[in-house]
Amino acid sequence: MDRNKITKWLKSPGKMSNKYSLWAIYFCTGCGIIEIPPVITSRWDAERFGVIPVATPRQANLFMITGYVSVKTLRAIIRTYEQMPEPKYTVGFGSCPINGGMYWDSYNTIKHLDKYIPVDGWIAGCMPRPEAVFVAVTHLWTLIDKGMANGYVKYREKYTLYRNNQEKVLGELDWQPLYPTDGKDE
Amino acid sequence: MVKMNKLLKEQLESAFKGIRISIPEDTRMIIHAKKEQVLTILKFIQNKAYDHLALISCVDWIEEGEFELVYIMSSYLQGNNKYTGKEKVNITLKTRITRKNPEFVTVISVFENAEPYEREIHELFGINFKGHPRLTPLLLEREYEIPPFRKDFDTRKYVEQVFDTIPFVEDKKE
Repeated sequence: MDRNKITKWLKSPGKMSNKYSLWAIYFCTGCGIIEIPPVITSRWDAERFGVIPVATPRQANLFMITGYVSVKTLRAIIRTYEQMPEPKYTVGFGSCPINGGMYWDSYNTIKHLDKYIPVDGWIAGCMPRPEAVFVAVTHLWTLIDKGMANGYVKYREKYTLYRNNQEKVLGELDWQPLYPTDGKDE
Repeated sequence: MVKMNKLLKEQLESAFKGIRISIPEDTRMIIHAKKEQVLTILKFIQNKAYDHLALISCVDWIEEGEFELVYIMSSYLQGNNKYTGKEKVNITLKTRITRKNPEFVTVISVFENAEPYEREIHELFGINFKGHPRLTPLLLEREYEIPPFRKDFDTRKYVEQVFDTIPFVEDKKE
Protein backbone atom coordinates (compact mmCIF):
# COMPACT_ATOMS: atom_id res chain seq x y z
CA MET A 1 0.00 0.00 0.00
CA ASP A 2 1.11 3.51 -0.71
CA ARG A 3 2.30 4.98 2.61
CA ASN A 4 1.30 8.50 1.66
CA LYS A 5 -2.28 7.42 1.50
CA ILE A 6 -2.43 5.95 5.02
CA THR A 7 -3.83 9.16 6.46
CA LYS A 8 -6.49 9.24 3.77
CA TRP A 9 -7.42 5.66 4.51
CA LEU A 10 -7.71 6.40 8.22
CA LYS A 11 -9.70 9.57 7.63
CA SER A 12 -12.35 8.17 5.32
CA PRO A 13 -12.00 4.43 4.81
CA GLY A 14 -15.40 4.13 3.12
CA LYS A 15 -14.55 6.62 0.46
CA MET A 16 -11.17 5.06 -0.24
CA SER A 17 -12.71 1.61 -0.50
CA ASN A 18 -15.29 2.88 -2.95
CA LYS A 19 -12.58 4.46 -5.02
CA TYR A 20 -10.46 1.38 -5.48
CA SER A 21 -13.21 -1.14 -6.04
CA LEU A 22 -15.31 0.29 -8.84
CA TRP A 23 -17.25 -2.68 -10.03
CA ALA A 24 -18.71 -2.02 -13.43
CA ILE A 25 -21.97 -3.53 -14.57
CA TYR A 26 -21.37 -5.31 -17.85
CA PHE A 27 -24.20 -3.63 -19.71
CA CYS A 28 -23.80 -3.50 -23.45
CA THR A 29 -25.22 -0.49 -25.21
CA GLY A 30 -24.50 0.34 -28.82
CA CYS A 31 -21.14 0.01 -30.47
CA GLY A 32 -18.97 1.26 -27.58
CA ILE A 33 -19.06 -2.06 -25.81
CA ILE A 34 -16.55 -3.32 -28.35
CA GLU A 35 -13.91 -1.30 -26.48
CA ILE A 36 -14.66 -2.89 -23.13
CA PRO A 37 -13.31 -6.45 -23.73
CA PRO A 38 -9.79 -5.09 -24.44
CA VAL A 39 -10.10 -2.88 -21.37
CA ILE A 40 -10.89 -5.73 -19.00
CA THR A 41 -8.63 -8.35 -20.51
CA SER A 42 -4.90 -8.74 -20.25
CA ARG A 43 -3.63 -6.01 -22.55
CA TRP A 44 -5.09 -3.03 -20.70
CA ASP A 45 -6.10 -4.98 -17.58
CA ALA A 46 -8.66 -2.82 -15.87
CA GLU A 47 -8.22 -4.66 -12.61
CA ARG A 48 -5.09 -2.61 -11.98
CA PHE A 49 -7.53 0.19 -11.28
CA GLY A 50 -9.93 -1.94 -9.32
CA VAL A 51 -12.44 -2.04 -12.17
CA ILE A 52 -13.93 -5.42 -12.88
CA PRO A 53 -17.08 -6.27 -14.78
CA VAL A 54 -19.84 -7.92 -12.80
CA ALA A 55 -22.93 -9.71 -13.94
CA THR A 56 -25.72 -8.11 -11.97
CA PRO A 57 -26.54 -4.51 -11.05
CA ARG A 58 -26.87 -5.51 -7.39
CA GLN A 59 -23.10 -5.95 -7.17
CA ALA A 60 -22.07 -2.99 -9.26
CA ASN A 61 -21.40 0.62 -8.49
CA LEU A 62 -20.03 1.87 -11.79
CA PHE A 63 -22.31 2.12 -14.78
CA MET A 64 -20.73 2.85 -18.16
CA ILE A 65 -23.18 3.66 -20.92
CA THR A 66 -21.21 2.69 -23.98
CA GLY A 67 -22.70 4.14 -27.10
CA TYR A 68 -26.01 5.36 -28.45
CA VAL A 69 -29.09 4.90 -26.32
CA SER A 70 -32.30 4.01 -28.10
CA VAL A 71 -35.63 4.55 -26.42
CA LYS A 72 -35.95 0.87 -25.71
CA THR A 73 -32.50 0.70 -24.17
CA LEU A 74 -33.28 3.70 -21.97
CA ARG A 75 -35.95 1.67 -20.23
CA ALA A 76 -33.41 -1.04 -19.41
CA ILE A 77 -30.83 1.56 -18.37
CA ILE A 78 -33.19 3.20 -15.90
CA ARG A 79 -34.21 -0.13 -14.42
CA THR A 80 -30.57 -1.19 -14.10
CA TYR A 81 -29.53 2.12 -12.58
CA GLU A 82 -32.29 2.02 -10.00
CA GLN A 83 -31.31 -1.49 -8.93
CA MET A 84 -27.70 -0.57 -8.21
CA PRO A 85 -26.81 -0.01 -4.55
CA GLU A 86 -25.47 3.37 -3.48
CA PRO A 87 -22.95 4.86 -3.93
CA LYS A 88 -23.22 4.49 -7.69
CA TYR A 89 -21.39 6.35 -10.42
CA THR A 90 -22.35 6.76 -14.05
CA VAL A 91 -19.98 7.44 -16.92
CA GLY A 92 -21.17 8.21 -20.43
CA PHE A 93 -18.78 6.63 -22.92
CA GLY A 94 -18.55 8.02 -26.44
CA SER A 95 -20.17 11.03 -28.02
CA CYS A 96 -23.63 9.55 -28.54
CA PRO A 97 -24.85 9.67 -24.93
CA ILE A 98 -23.52 13.25 -24.63
CA ASN A 99 -25.57 14.90 -27.37
CA GLY A 100 -26.69 12.22 -29.80
CA GLY A 101 -23.47 12.21 -31.80
CA MET A 102 -24.06 11.03 -35.33
CA TYR A 103 -27.62 10.12 -34.35
CA TRP A 104 -28.51 13.74 -33.60
CA ASP A 105 -31.56 13.65 -35.89
CA SER A 106 -32.57 10.05 -35.33
CA TYR A 107 -36.19 9.29 -34.58
CA ASN A 108 -35.43 6.71 -31.95
CA THR A 109 -32.24 7.74 -30.14
CA ILE A 110 -32.02 9.62 -26.88
CA LYS A 111 -30.00 12.77 -27.43
CA HIS A 112 -28.97 13.80 -23.93
CA LEU A 113 -28.64 10.97 -21.46
CA ASP A 114 -28.33 13.30 -18.47
CA LYS A 115 -31.92 14.35 -18.88
CA TYR A 116 -33.02 10.92 -17.71
CA ILE A 117 -30.39 9.69 -15.26
CA PRO A 118 -27.59 11.66 -13.58
CA VAL A 119 -24.18 11.24 -15.19
CA ASP A 120 -20.99 11.91 -13.23
CA GLY A 121 -18.55 12.07 -16.10
CA TRP A 122 -18.22 11.85 -19.82
CA ILE A 123 -15.63 10.29 -22.09
CA ALA A 124 -15.72 12.12 -25.40
CA GLY A 125 -14.78 10.53 -28.68
CA CYS A 126 -16.08 8.19 -31.30
CA MET A 127 -14.73 5.72 -30.30
CA PRO A 128 -12.66 6.55 -27.22
CA ARG A 129 -9.50 4.51 -26.82
CA PRO A 130 -9.28 2.03 -23.95
CA GLU A 131 -6.80 4.38 -22.28
CA ALA A 132 -9.59 6.94 -22.04
CA VAL A 133 -11.45 4.62 -19.70
CA PHE A 134 -8.54 4.74 -17.27
CA VAL A 135 -8.30 8.51 -17.55
CA ALA A 136 -11.99 8.61 -16.73
CA VAL A 137 -11.52 6.25 -13.79
CA THR A 138 -8.70 8.32 -12.32
CA HIS A 139 -10.78 11.47 -12.81
CA LEU A 140 -13.60 9.71 -11.05
CA TRP A 141 -11.26 9.00 -8.12
CA THR A 142 -10.56 12.71 -7.84
CA LEU A 143 -14.24 13.50 -7.98
CA ILE A 144 -15.00 10.92 -5.29
CA ASP A 145 -12.23 12.38 -3.13
CA LYS A 146 -13.70 15.84 -3.43
CA GLY A 147 -17.25 14.60 -2.98
CA MET A 148 -18.27 15.81 -6.43
CA ALA A 149 -19.37 12.48 -7.85
CA ASN A 150 -22.76 12.85 -6.28
CA GLY A 151 -25.03 11.84 -9.12
CA TYR A 152 -26.94 9.38 -6.98
CA VAL A 153 -27.61 12.08 -4.37
CA LYS A 154 -28.90 14.34 -7.11
CA TYR A 155 -31.08 11.54 -8.39
CA ARG A 156 -32.65 11.16 -4.96
CA GLU A 157 -33.19 14.90 -4.53
CA LYS A 158 -34.56 15.66 -7.98
CA TYR A 159 -36.25 12.35 -8.59
CA THR A 160 -39.53 14.00 -9.59
CA LEU A 161 -37.90 15.90 -12.42
CA TYR A 162 -36.04 12.84 -13.65
CA ARG A 163 -39.15 10.71 -13.46
CA ASN A 164 -41.14 13.33 -15.39
CA ASN A 165 -38.54 13.34 -18.14
CA GLN A 166 -38.51 9.55 -18.25
CA GLU A 167 -42.27 9.44 -18.54
CA LYS A 168 -42.23 12.00 -21.34
CA VAL A 169 -40.14 9.69 -23.48
CA LEU A 170 -41.25 6.24 -22.38
CA GLY A 171 -44.88 6.93 -21.62
CA GLU A 172 -46.29 5.18 -18.58
CA LEU A 173 -43.56 3.45 -16.62
CA ASP A 174 -44.56 0.02 -15.43
CA TRP A 175 -42.60 0.14 -12.18
CA GLN A 176 -43.06 1.98 -8.92
CA PRO A 177 -41.13 5.19 -8.22
CA LEU A 178 -37.83 4.52 -6.48
CA TYR A 179 -38.17 7.53 -4.19
CA PRO A 180 -41.31 9.44 -3.17
CA THR A 181 -42.23 11.93 -5.85
CA ASP A 182 -43.44 15.22 -4.44
CA GLY A 183 -46.91 16.40 -5.32
CA LYS A 184 -47.58 13.81 -7.97
CA ASP A 185 -49.07 10.79 -6.32
CA GLU A 186 -50.95 12.72 -3.62
CA MET B 1 -24.50 -22.09 -63.62
CA VAL B 2 -25.04 -19.48 -66.26
CA LYS B 3 -26.93 -22.07 -68.24
CA MET B 4 -29.08 -22.90 -65.25
CA ASN B 5 -29.78 -19.22 -64.78
CA LYS B 6 -31.02 -18.91 -68.33
CA LEU B 7 -33.03 -22.09 -68.00
CA LEU B 8 -34.81 -20.71 -64.95
CA LYS B 9 -35.41 -17.46 -66.78
CA GLU B 10 -37.04 -19.26 -69.68
CA GLN B 11 -39.16 -21.36 -67.36
CA LEU B 12 -40.34 -18.29 -65.47
CA GLU B 13 -41.12 -16.32 -68.61
CA SER B 14 -43.16 -19.16 -70.04
CA ALA B 15 -45.05 -19.75 -66.81
CA PHE B 16 -45.88 -16.15 -65.95
CA LYS B 17 -46.98 -13.41 -68.27
CA GLY B 18 -46.01 -9.80 -67.85
CA ILE B 19 -42.88 -10.28 -65.75
CA ARG B 20 -39.56 -8.70 -66.56
CA ILE B 21 -36.38 -10.59 -65.78
CA SER B 22 -32.92 -9.14 -65.89
CA ILE B 23 -29.61 -10.81 -65.10
CA PRO B 24 -27.11 -8.05 -64.23
CA GLU B 25 -24.47 -10.53 -63.09
CA ASP B 26 -24.03 -14.26 -63.36
CA THR B 27 -24.90 -14.63 -59.70
CA ARG B 28 -27.93 -12.37 -59.61
CA MET B 29 -31.37 -12.46 -61.14
CA ILE B 30 -33.93 -9.70 -60.73
CA ILE B 31 -37.61 -10.34 -61.38
CA HIS B 32 -40.10 -7.51 -61.66
CA ALA B 33 -43.61 -8.81 -61.17
CA LYS B 34 -47.12 -7.60 -60.56
CA LYS B 35 -48.40 -7.89 -57.04
CA GLU B 36 -50.98 -10.56 -57.87
CA GLN B 37 -48.25 -12.89 -59.14
CA VAL B 38 -45.95 -12.73 -56.13
CA LEU B 39 -47.26 -15.72 -54.19
CA THR B 40 -47.27 -18.04 -57.18
CA ILE B 41 -43.82 -16.92 -58.29
CA LEU B 42 -42.45 -17.46 -54.79
CA LYS B 43 -43.90 -20.97 -54.75
CA PHE B 44 -42.51 -21.63 -58.21
CA ILE B 45 -39.03 -20.50 -57.20
CA GLN B 46 -39.20 -22.45 -53.96
CA ASN B 47 -39.88 -25.62 -55.91
CA LYS B 48 -36.75 -24.90 -57.95
CA ALA B 49 -34.69 -25.47 -54.75
CA TYR B 50 -34.41 -21.80 -53.88
CA ASP B 51 -35.72 -22.62 -50.44
CA HIS B 52 -34.18 -19.83 -48.38
CA LEU B 53 -35.85 -16.46 -48.02
CA ALA B 54 -32.96 -14.27 -46.99
CA LEU B 55 -34.72 -10.94 -46.62
CA ILE B 56 -37.83 -8.93 -47.25
CA SER B 57 -37.15 -5.27 -47.71
CA CYS B 58 -39.15 -2.23 -48.69
CA VAL B 59 -38.39 0.92 -50.66
CA ASP B 60 -40.46 4.08 -50.52
CA TRP B 61 -40.77 5.67 -53.98
CA ILE B 62 -42.57 8.77 -52.80
CA GLU B 63 -42.55 10.64 -56.12
CA GLU B 64 -44.19 7.73 -57.90
CA GLY B 65 -46.57 7.12 -55.01
CA GLU B 66 -45.54 3.52 -54.61
CA PHE B 67 -43.88 1.12 -52.22
CA GLU B 68 -41.58 -1.50 -53.62
CA LEU B 69 -41.35 -4.79 -51.79
CA VAL B 70 -38.15 -6.74 -52.33
CA TYR B 71 -37.85 -10.46 -51.67
CA ILE B 72 -34.36 -11.95 -51.79
CA MET B 73 -33.98 -15.70 -52.05
CA SER B 74 -31.05 -18.04 -52.27
CA SER B 75 -30.49 -21.75 -52.10
CA TYR B 76 -28.96 -23.91 -49.41
CA LEU B 77 -28.23 -26.58 -52.00
CA GLN B 78 -25.60 -24.38 -53.59
CA GLY B 79 -23.42 -25.02 -50.56
CA ASN B 80 -22.94 -28.62 -51.70
CA ASN B 81 -19.70 -29.65 -53.32
CA LYS B 82 -21.57 -29.75 -56.59
CA TYR B 83 -21.31 -26.00 -56.79
CA THR B 84 -18.58 -23.70 -55.54
CA GLY B 85 -19.29 -20.53 -53.61
CA LYS B 86 -18.68 -18.35 -56.63
CA GLU B 87 -21.72 -19.69 -58.35
CA LYS B 88 -24.18 -18.82 -55.63
CA VAL B 89 -27.23 -17.22 -57.22
CA ASN B 90 -29.46 -14.75 -55.46
CA ILE B 91 -32.92 -14.21 -56.83
CA THR B 92 -34.51 -10.86 -56.18
CA LEU B 93 -38.23 -10.46 -56.66
CA LYS B 94 -39.56 -6.92 -56.80
CA THR B 95 -43.14 -5.81 -56.78
CA ARG B 96 -44.88 -2.49 -56.34
CA ILE B 97 -47.97 -1.55 -54.34
CA THR B 98 -49.75 1.77 -54.09
CA ARG B 99 -48.77 4.18 -51.39
CA LYS B 100 -52.29 5.39 -50.65
CA ASN B 101 -53.60 1.99 -49.66
CA PRO B 102 -50.55 0.06 -48.49
CA GLU B 103 -51.84 -3.49 -48.29
CA PHE B 104 -50.33 -6.76 -49.33
CA VAL B 105 -50.78 -10.45 -48.68
CA THR B 106 -48.51 -12.26 -46.29
CA VAL B 107 -46.12 -14.86 -47.69
CA ILE B 108 -45.93 -16.91 -44.49
CA SER B 109 -47.74 -19.74 -46.28
CA VAL B 110 -44.72 -20.09 -48.56
CA PHE B 111 -41.81 -19.03 -46.35
CA GLU B 112 -42.48 -19.26 -42.63
CA ASN B 113 -39.53 -17.10 -41.71
CA ALA B 114 -41.22 -14.14 -43.39
CA GLU B 115 -43.06 -13.38 -40.17
CA PRO B 116 -40.55 -11.08 -38.40
CA TYR B 117 -39.64 -9.35 -41.67
CA GLU B 118 -43.26 -8.50 -42.32
CA ARG B 119 -43.76 -7.32 -38.76
CA GLU B 120 -40.76 -5.04 -39.15
CA ILE B 121 -42.02 -3.62 -42.45
CA HIS B 122 -45.46 -3.13 -40.95
CA GLU B 123 -43.91 -1.19 -38.10
CA LEU B 124 -41.47 0.95 -40.05
CA PHE B 125 -43.40 1.52 -43.29
CA GLY B 126 -46.99 0.99 -42.21
CA ILE B 127 -47.79 -1.70 -44.74
CA ASN B 128 -50.64 -3.95 -43.69
CA PHE B 129 -50.03 -7.62 -44.45
CA LYS B 130 -53.35 -9.42 -44.74
CA GLY B 131 -53.40 -12.82 -43.10
CA HIS B 132 -50.44 -12.14 -40.83
CA PRO B 133 -51.11 -13.71 -37.41
CA ARG B 134 -49.63 -10.94 -35.26
CA LEU B 135 -48.71 -7.51 -36.50
CA THR B 136 -47.66 -6.28 -33.05
CA PRO B 137 -44.78 -3.88 -32.36
CA LEU B 138 -41.41 -5.51 -32.80
CA LEU B 139 -38.64 -2.92 -32.52
CA LEU B 140 -40.03 0.46 -31.63
CA GLU B 141 -41.00 1.67 -28.20
CA ARG B 142 -42.83 4.88 -29.06
CA GLU B 143 -45.79 5.36 -31.35
CA TYR B 144 -45.38 7.50 -34.43
CA GLU B 145 -48.04 9.31 -36.44
CA ILE B 146 -46.22 8.54 -39.68
CA PRO B 147 -44.22 5.32 -39.73
CA PRO B 148 -40.62 6.50 -39.34
CA PHE B 149 -39.03 4.91 -42.42
CA ARG B 150 -41.36 6.64 -44.86
CA LYS B 151 -39.83 9.45 -46.83
CA ASP B 152 -42.34 12.04 -45.62
CA PHE B 153 -41.35 11.44 -42.00
CA ASP B 154 -39.38 14.53 -40.99
CA THR B 155 -36.80 13.29 -38.49
CA ARG B 156 -35.44 16.75 -37.65
CA LYS B 157 -38.87 18.10 -36.90
CA TYR B 158 -39.66 15.05 -34.83
CA VAL B 159 -36.48 15.45 -32.80
CA GLU B 160 -37.25 19.12 -32.21
CA GLN B 161 -40.77 18.33 -31.13
CA VAL B 162 -40.01 15.38 -28.87
CA PHE B 163 -36.45 15.10 -27.64
CA ASP B 164 -35.51 18.78 -27.64
CA THR B 165 -38.55 19.84 -25.63
CA ILE B 166 -37.53 17.72 -22.66
CA PRO B 167 -35.83 20.06 -20.17
CA PHE B 168 -32.44 19.55 -18.59
CA VAL B 169 -32.79 18.71 -14.94
CA GLU B 170 -30.21 21.29 -13.86
CA ASP B 171 -31.83 24.15 -15.76
CA LYS B 172 -35.26 23.60 -14.36
CA LYS B 173 -34.14 23.80 -10.76
CA GLU B 174 -32.25 27.07 -10.97
